[in-house]
Amino acid sequence: MTAIELEGLTKDYGEVLANDGLTFSVDTGEVFGYLGPNGAGKTTTIRMLLGFISPTAGSGRVLGHDIQDERALIEAKRQIGYLSDEPGFDEQATGDEILELHAAVKGDERSDELLELFDPPMDRKIREYSRGNVQKLGLVTTFMHDPELVILDEPTSGLDPLMKQRFAEFLRREKENGVTVFFSSHILSEVRRLCDRVGIIRSGELVTIEPIETLLTRSGKAVRIQSEAPIPLTVLDIDGVHDLETSIPGDVADVDPDSAFTECTFTYTGDINRLLTALSEYELLDLSIEEAPLEDVFLRFYGGENDV
Amino acid sequence: MFEFLRYDGRKRIKGSLYLSVGLAVLAGMIIWIYPSFRDTFDEDELLAAYPQEIIQLFDVQTMTSLEGFLAFELYVFGWVILLGLYFAYSAAGVIADEIDRGRMDSLLAMPVSRRRLLTEKFAALGVPIVIVNLLLPPVVLGGGWLIGESMSVMDVFAVHLLSIPYLFACAGIGLICSVAFDRSAIAQRVALGVTFALFLMQSVLQGTDYEAIGALTPMEYFNPNEILLEGTYDLGNAVILLAMTVLFVVISQFWFVRKDI
Repeated sequence: MTAIELEGLTKDYGEVLANDGLTFSVDTGEVFGYLGPNGAGKTTTIRMLLGFISPTAGSGRVLGHDIQDERALIEAKRQIGYLSDEPGFDEQATGDEILELHAAVKGDERSDELLELFDPPMDRKIREYSRGNVQKLGLVTTFMHDPELVILDEPTSGLDPLMKQRFAEFLRREKENGVTVFFSSHILSEVRRLCDRVGIIRSGELVTIEPIETLLTRSGKAVRIQSEAPIPLTVLDIDGVHDLETSIPGDVADVDPDSAFTECTFTYTGDINRLLTALSEYELLDLSIEEAPLEDVFLRFYGGENDV
Repeated sequence: MFEFLRYDGRKRIKGSLYLSVGLAVLAGMIIWIYPSFRDTFDEDELLAAYPQEIIQLFDVQTMTSLEGFLAFELYVFGWVILLGLYFAYSAAGVIADEIDRGRMDSLLAMPVSRRRLLTEKFAALGVPIVIVNLLLPPVVLGGGWLIGESMSVMDVFAVHLLSIPYLFACAGIGLICSVAFDRSAIAQRVALGVTFALFLMQSVLQGTDYEAIGALTPMEYFNPNEILLEGTYDLGNAVILLAMTVLFVVISQFWFVRKDI
């Protein structure tokens, strides 16, 4: 079954095409990362799914309900938790009062457990809250009615590293309990820890949808080699070596830095055995092969933009 | 049902009490200065001293009785103008403020229709409207008693009761502005401007060929002089004001449901 379905969903503001014919679906029980640079149109998609803005073309369904049918969408919202990218609560109210309103409208199945986990200061007024505390209260109100589907817009913004960690663990447990998660982010490392599949959006258009493993395989490895004696550059003349950077200390005499190296780093997307065979006849001081940061992958495969 | 009405209503209680205290002070002052006016001027000497335009603008009938004095100083000025503007202004924040401060998403993510949210938030304005009109009659009557003037208890309660639909209608004007403009500062300014313009229109056009246009304004249907001086209560007027309010709410709903927020 599909939790979210988009069919050519479009939002055209005239001067800006915020979402351009988006078609994809999110399966029930899946954690789907919706990824893209700031301003790519992630929030626009989310706000259309929740009926805050109406599409100019195309259609969408959440939990089987048409997003353009208000009554149907309200039915769906009983089972949806939503955290906006900048959650806003009545500044004059205390956390407790906000929670009470949410509980009265959509029910409260588990706020105690959530309050223990995220711990926003409930007796203080919202206007005294820090950005992080607002986010924590937002997380509590998002999950308190034990929704089947949660839609999270940049959920970790404002959280400190400890809370980010706690949130990641929490989300993993939710996934095990069968909750479907759709979350947007511009931070790839976050997505990689949590998601099954990733959809990448750029300038309102869907660039690709891939399982996270595929993305990681495509991403290749970050390789670092160090040796005592210079190694000829031709050794690395094999498929799958990208972004090669080499260096050689000045005190190694008679070696052309353009033809040999004692230290190098590169990204490798080829067969790892082939690389090791090529290096096997040289004496190495150190060799490290690590997963490449997803940021690099993104840049390599989808063209460069600095804010991802 | 009514969760948002309860929530907003509760939030408005404190403000309603402050508003009542403010108006009680205003009423107290007006009643307190009345005896010196009464003793200084004969008949309607004071009234005659006012320019004709002011008399028409505020629909001043007489100042020789406490009722006439209050009708002008307190009810036309305090209720028709000040409170009318105040509730138009407050209502203008009902939707626009939530959008402006980024709170609307959190509200509409809950399983609630836009129509219901708007209606309940508007209805919560009933809290200050009713509280003010419940607390002020005893103040006015007590003040009159203290300066040795007797007033019709019925009339005083009637003027307050009949002001309730009037104030709701003014709030309805604000509500439309609240839906029409995303920025609450603009919505509130427009609401103030429109309400005051309607007041001017109604009073200035009176007695001219264009008098009929005044019939489109809420001010036409709430007349403190008539109630306090003649003791006539026109319930038809109250019905018209309620119908206006419903119309304003329905227009706002229609608009809000179709709007991108």
